[in-house]
Amino acid sequence: MEQSLRVKVNGQAVKREVPPRLTLADFLRDRLRLTGTHLGCEHGVCGACTVLLDGDAVRACLLLAVQADGREVTTVEGMGEPGRLTPLQRAFLEHGAFQCGFCTPGFLATGEALLRSGRRLSRAELPDLLAGNLCRCTGYGPIVDAILEAAGSR
Amino acid sequence: MKAGSDAEERLVRGQGDFLADLDLDALEACFVRSPYPHARVQSISLPGGRGLTGAQLARLAGPLRVDGPGLKAVPWWPLAVEKVRFVGEAVAVVWAEDRYLAEDLADETEVDYEPIPAGPLHEEAPDGVLYESRREGGDFEAAFGRAARVLERTFKTARQTPIPLEARGVVARWDGAAGRLTVWTSTQVPNLVRTVLASSLQLAEGDVRVIVPVVGGGFGLKAHVFPEELAVAALARHLGRTVRWVEDRRENLLASAHAHEETVRLRLALDDQGRFLAVDAEVSCDVGAYSVFPFSASLEPVTTGQTLFGPYALEAFRLHASGLASSKCPAGAYRGVGMNAAAFATERMVDIAARELGLDPLELRRRNAIREFPTVTAAGRELDSGDYLGLLGRLDAPYRELRRQQAEARREGRLFGIGVGFFNEHSGTGASEYQTRGITTIPGVDSARVRVGEDGTIEIATGGADAGQGHAETYRLLAARELGVAAEKVVVFEGDTDACPPGSGTFVSRGAVGGLTALTEALREVAEKDLAPGLEVTRVVDPKQVFPSGAHLAAVEVDPLGLNPRVIRYLAVEDCGVVVNERAAEAQVRGGVAMGMGGVLLEEIRYSEDGQPLASTLLDYLVPLAPDVPEIEIEHQESPSPLTALGSKGVGEAGTIGAFAAVANAVADAVQAELNELPCSPDRIFHLRRS
Repeated sequence: MEQSLRVKVNGQAVKREVPPRLTLADFLRDRLRLTGTHLGCEHGVCGACTVLLDGDAVRACLLLAVQADGREVTTVEGMGEPGRLTPLQRAFLEHGAFQCGFCTPGFLATGEALLRSGRRLSRAELPDLLAGNLCRCTGYGPIVDAILEAAGSR
Repeated sequence: MKAGSDAEERLVRGQGDFLADLDLDALEACFVRSPYPHARVQSISLPGGRGLTGAQLARLAGPLRVDGPGLKAVPWWPLAVEKVRFVGEAVAVVWAEDRYLAEDLADETEVDYEPIPAGPLHEEAPDGVLYESRREGGDFEAAFGRAARVLERTFKTARQTPIPLEARGVVARWDGAAGRLTVWTSTQVPNLVRTVLASSLQLAEGDVRVIVPVVGGGFGLKAHVFPEELAVAALARHLGRTVRWVEDRRENLLASAHAHEETVRLRLALDDQGRFLAVDAEVSCDVGAYSVFPFSASLEPVTTGQTLFGPYALEAFRLHASGLASSKCPAGAYRGVGMNAAAFATERMVDIAARELGLDPLELRRRNAIREFPTVTAAGRELDSGDYLGLLGRLDAPYRELRRQQAEARREGRLFGIGVGFFNEHSGTGASEYQTRGITTIPGVDSARVRVGEDGTIEIATGGADAGQGHAETYRLLAARELGVAAEKVVVFEGDTDACPPGSGTFVSRGAVGGLTALTEALREVAEKDLAPGLEVTRVVDPKQVFPSGAHLAAVEVDPLGLNPRVIRYLAVEDCGVVVNERAAEAQVRGGVAMGMGGVLLEEIRYSEDGQPLASTLLDYLVPLAPDVPEIEIEHQESPSPLTALGSKGVGEAGTIGAFAAVANAVADAVQAELNELPCSPDRIFHLRRS
């Protein structure tokens, strides 16, 4: 049995019938073809699927699509515009904050939520705030640098 | 895949086109996996017409098998036939229109198992030994005969798995009219996948095309050909449909490839000056249930054996290496492979020797480091280049500074330790070297093709396969330098067997050895011919192993209550020969060190006594998080290799190998105990301090 879902995704109103067991991540990836949200573990540890739900960083693999009903989702595809990257995306490029790039959309979502929170980000604290996202390539240092730079430019 | 100059920007926009992102209108396959470590498959009841058993699939595709000296050639079928040999081994495959429905079918599949309580896993290897070799170099008896002292210790490394953030995945499409198979797979070895698919499915190699999408990390895991690749391809041909399998993390932890479960027993003979005379080594690796393709059960025993006491001058060396079967996931390549265990065992042993002799650990290393290059070691390695005293010299000042800090910390009762990791490693193993080892399943050559387009575009295609290392950026830099063209004019193709010259793929840092040699030679020939439009040059190189080296320094503090070790300072001095692309090289070192920290402090897959794996989520299998990794300081020393076109030696594994030694020594120093087993977890430290 399917349920109706109305959700705003990257600024666009979307209405779909979905099975209740469909995760938000699979809804975004398979139904809307927004494949920038990646799945690294599907059990809420790696953070690759992190998206913004009403501005908060959440794990799209642990939410059902129907739980997003009436809410607003921002994925990596909703960050920046054609021909213009966000300051955070630019900082990721400049600092080499990724190698394979698989974890990047999740870090961008976590980073964006931190930047929007308005809290002061320090080099000492930031790594703890990023402990919900795994990266296997970079050793994290360049990611920390990129987020700090984007925070400084705001 | 083509990598244009916008490839990196696409990644921050979420337009990376990883395997699971490809829109190919595929059926979803799901594997039914064994909950038993060793059992006979009595019967399988599949939901109506939407599945195949191992016996049925065996008629469509042949097994993986590696033969060679010292090896038992045991077959590894795409799906288990008759019996299963580890928890997670696939016994059947089902398919449906979407993943949810396919998993429902897998749940509905009924399999009758008859557990096998004891007895050999493979009839071909009744003693369980899948690989064995011995070697001896120098006058072993004489060296031990005049030893003033002999130290003996046993070291153990933990079973681990690489955890690329993107797990494995395959899509296969069969074109019945053309008789052609196209396979998209997240791999480091596209040509090898093609060769094996062709032979397993009895197709001509030219009728198989392998395409590598953007790969979300490999770290050796994706340098194998896996049974699932054969099964999905066979299924696509059988059904005449496009079929996709995307691995989930549980499958990845249970049934991809594990690594690093080794026991290394060392006897070290020393003279009365603390000079190392000879080493007697017994290396035994738990290689799991099958011999992985293409590296085989010899992979870790051989690489560990080759690397023990690598940077030290010895008169003699004796090795007995073996790979033993067990009812566990097969062991394969994971960044650094057996070199990690070798560096860990060697450098722990050196620190133990320093302590026993009352010598400073850095001084003892200096006393024993190889000084002349090139040279052939007692273990038979032909070292091409290096400056080992130079490496150690660069540690001197920071080491003394840390010792001062340590003295102060100890006065305050803090557990503060310093560790050195000094090592060399082989990279770029070539065809003839694999053949000497008896391994004929690895092509071992590297290739590059440079073509000048009509509009002046430079097209580079290689036999490598990028998994995040930044090949395209490095090639563009090199082309700009060699040809004087703008980097934006360069387009790079990798990972498409129809579009690229055949090569070995990307592992053992071969990109910086054979890969860059082939590319540089091709570029130079194009430059000589003045970039004439339409010009095309292909170079194929059979590289010879070269030897990067390094000296790492770690400081660790262990909190006295939780006994959690924390790395607080890390310096890596690398010698990867000439650094071709500093940004890419440092990224490799930094990421490699972080991975090695995980290997020493966190990562472990344990099995219960009855063969059940105890880590099936990322809550059980811990990898380093952002707060676990300090800033990593990097210094380069360049000893150019005379054997590569640019003098480069590769740097993909160095960070990890060095960290296995430096971090472990630092923890042992912090808690003042002989910590000779990995990981250095709080519970292990607790028990060691109590005993």
